[in-house]
Amino acid sequence: MSANERAVGEGVWTDRILGLVAWLVGFIYFFPILWLIINSTKDEVTANATPTLDYSPSLDRYREVTETSVGLLGAGEAFTNSAITSVVSTLIVLLLAIPAAYALAIYPVKKWRDALFFFISTKFLPLVASILPLWILARQFDLLNTRLVLIILYTAMNLPLAVWMLRSFFQEVPRELVEAAEIDGTSLIGVLRSVVIPIAAPGIAATGLLCLIFAWNEYFFAVQLNAADAQTVPIWVTTNISTRGNFIAKLSAASVLASIPVVIAGWVAQKRMIRGLAMGAIK
Amino acid sequence: MASVTYHKATRFYPGTERPAVAEFDLEIPDGELLVLVGPSGSGKSTALRMLAGLEPLDGGQIKIGDRDVSNVRPRDRDIAMVFQNYALYPQLTVAQNMGFALKQQKVPKEERRKRVEEAARILDLTPYLDRKPKNLSGGQRQRVAMGRAIVRSPQVFLMDEPLSNLDAKLRVQTRTELAELQERLGVTTVYVTHDQVEAMTMGHRVAVLKDGILQQCDTPQNLYHHPANAFVAGFIGSPAMNLVPITPADGAARLGGHRLGFGDAEGDIDLGAALTVGFRPEAARLGDDGPLEARIRTIEDLGSEVFVHLVVAHEGDDIQIVAKTASPFGGRNGDNVRVSLGGPVHVFGADGERVASTNATLA
Amino acid sequence: MSETDLAAPAAAANDGALPSHATPWRRRLPLLPALIFTILLTQVPFVMSIYYSLTNWKVVPPTPREFIGFDNYVELTSSSPFLDAAWVSVKMTVLSVFFSVILGTLIAILLDRKFFGQGIVRTLIITPFLLMPVVAGLIWKNQMFHGLFGVVNWLLDWVGIDSVEFVSKHPLASIVTVLVWQWTPFMMLIMLAGLQSQPSDVLEAARVDGTTSFGIFRQLTLPHLRRYIELATLLGTIYLIQVFDQIFVMTGGGPGSTNLPFFVYRRSIGGGWQFGLASAYSIVVVIATLLVANFALRVLSNLLEDDV
Repeated sequence: MSANERAVGEGVWTDRILGLVAWLVGFIYFFPILWLIINSTKDEVTANATPTLDYSPSLDRYREVTETSVGLLGAGEAFTNSAITSVVSTLIVLLLAIPAAYALAIYPVKKWRDALFFFISTKFLPLVASILPLWILARQFDLLNTRLVLIILYTAMNLPLAVWMLRSFFQEVPRELVEAAEIDGTSLIGVLRSVVIPIAAPGIAATGLLCLIFAWNEYFFAVQLNAADAQTVPIWVTTNISTRGNFIAKLSAASVLASIPVVIAGWVAQKRMIRGLAMGAIK
Repeated sequence: MASVTYHKATRFYPGTERPAVAEFDLEIPDGELLVLVGPSGSGKSTALRMLAGLEPLDGGQIKIGDRDVSNVRPRDRDIAMVFQNYALYPQLTVAQNMGFALKQQKVPKEERRKRVEEAARILDLTPYLDRKPKNLSGGQRQRVAMGRAIVRSPQVFLMDEPLSNLDAKLRVQTRTELAELQERLGVTTVYVTHDQVEAMTMGHRVAVLKDGILQQCDTPQNLYHHPANAFVAGFIGSPAMNLVPITPADGAARLGGHRLGFGDAEGDIDLGAALTVGFRPEAARLGDDGPLEARIRTIEDLGSEVFVHLVVAHEGDDIQIVAKTASPFGGRNGDNVRVSLGGPVHVFGADGERVASTNATLA
Repeated sequence: MSETDLAAPAAAANDGALPSHATPWRRRLPLLPALIFTILLTQVPFVMSIYYSLTNWKVVPPTPREFIGFDNYVELTSSSPFLDAAWVSVKMTVLSVFFSVILGTLIAILLDRKFFGQGIVRTLIITPFLLMPVVAGLIWKNQMFHGLFGVVNWLLDWVGIDSVEFVSKHPLASIVTVLVWQWTPFMMLIMLAGLQSQPSDVLEAARVDGTTSFGIFRQLTLPHLRRYIELATLLGTIYLIQVFDQIFVMTGGGPGSTNLPFFVYRRSIGGGWQFGLASAYSIVVVIATLLVANFALRVLSNLLEDDV
């Protein structure tokens, strides 16, 4: 039966009421974000007072927040740094994870389970615990305050997740197609390019998107290893926190700007991400 | 025990123009095994699901006995259903699967056990009662699905292609067992299949559907010997009836250039319009002295009978017809033979409806 | 014939025979770049930490690094702030995972039926997961939980209850709220996948067999969801054990809201500069997490083997 229709014999009201409840839950859940957006259009006096909706909205805070460079770097630099570190690290992750997943899924090595467990277990280690050695190493190699160190770390951070998810996507690739390509004498890269990647493309996209999200939103490593030159967006947001006075409106505007890229990406690729999480997770 | 009535039952899938089932009228008396048969997309499964309450009705009504169940929930209709992929509850044992419905109805444990064991005995499932579905073969799972249905003693059994997933030999064997079981239990059964051989061997009556419309509902014999239209004629029977389109010229219908004489039915047939002439393979006689020239394309020797596929020149084109003959057959591919008509011939008008059936002659 | 055919196990892609032209090394090769990269970046720091943990390295005041054996570890076992942080870690992780899985499941059930604008509602609910943890922490600290201007207090006021200083008086609860808010969508997505992967004909069979909607949920859906719940719990735990950002922006790690990662951070480059001691702490944390991981991976192993 089509999903849009009521089951036979069910009351009309059950569906309507539950639909309403769902909308209510959705609204309440989204409300803090809605409030953030509202606050970003207020001036500081209104924002730092009892909650109200009675004011005249303006986009001035956005202008302020992108114009002034509070101390070190302005918005433009921060966004560029974040974009570069996120995208490049994600590309490297995919570059490393695709062959690895192939080795684990299609012609599995003998110890594939061990390898997979190893990857996943690295996610369990609190990264915070290794910050000291990493900081020392970064200083040693003159990588503090660079984008490169973040790219390397984000790659390490996302690699286990990518390997895990891609492995289960690759399991969906029909073995016969791979075997046919091998019979035709294709090299490994050829098989990947002509068979595996086209079929698993949605899964690869979902994985890549998830890595982008985690890399873009990452704060801890960025702030520990980069005092100045390679400031990323999360750090830029926190520079709007001031102990000197209340700047809730400006902070809200900065927060909204910081979140827009990932939120839009997430919204657009929702269905794919769901498929990705489901498949990557379950198989 | 109850009868089933479809009265102008209609179902549109949202977003489609053509109804999946259109104004379906059918009366099934108590105790009958009625088969719904047709090609994919004919609406047969939809019609069954409407009876089950798994599809809502967009028009008309459905009754079980005297009760209008059109808006009644599946669980309140007192029906049992066997699904094509068996739909067994994966986490439950065979015994729990079969007793599930009884448990929902709060039947006491002791009686549940008794009825499950009884059904298991009938279906030879007793050794498997504690197994889970994933540890069963396809045939065993199919029987569990049956057992789940018969344990309930419902008013109607619904079966949605229950044998399609079995291999050929098992299918034939289970077919007869199923028919015997239904005869014994005497419960009204609506059975869906796409396999017309299954339909012909099992059903008390068979309803043929195409594109959501009922073509003909009759006993297997009548469907075979008196098809209502060209579709039914071509669908029932294997190999299919030979259907030859003919454009009459000069007031006569010609097959392969030879004039067809329709005997007593001559007056009923309108020779001004195009028609289709149908005759079964057994009505095509092979020999050296028939009127129609044909060339053998291939020969299917089944041991008990032989089907010869022939090519005949007709109205400027080559058409294929199948003739049935006895084994052994001495012909070979490429041989030229001659064909005569020796059995009933059905004539269908331009709209496909049967106009006449007669013993025709080929001049 | 098919009577003796047992139900075929899931495609044995994992145990495929070795084709004659693919040597073991050819198979292993694609795995190596990723493997080596990960080993380098996780094991090297780990070994370094072990080394530092056996010294008395301090930067403030600057002392020469001397080897002191296991002294740091001894000091650690009697350190009550460390044990407090461990306890906070446990509470924070367990509470966040627990509530987000339950809430995620409930919302998934609500969203599993079709209604007008279902996609929009789902989009709204997913959004908190996409936000930066620092932004989420700031939203709740400054705008929802704020003592004077917070929306929650405004609502409480409206109903006649006194304002509550959430973040200062209930730091752990505040942080857990933010974590649950952010991670419930993730759990919901996994549960939705679970709900939608139920074979529809089994559900129909149950309806024909006389089960109520609630009966179907209890007897069929919940057992089916068990794997998904386990998986969601596992994934959630992995990420929630390491929470840092929200603590940093909301409470700065006051008593009651410092978990182990934050504790270690504070002792090392976050102000304590006691590298030797902090390294010992971090090693202990790593070992403890590995134990938890081992247990969790056994669960995962069942998931990987399980045939639905």
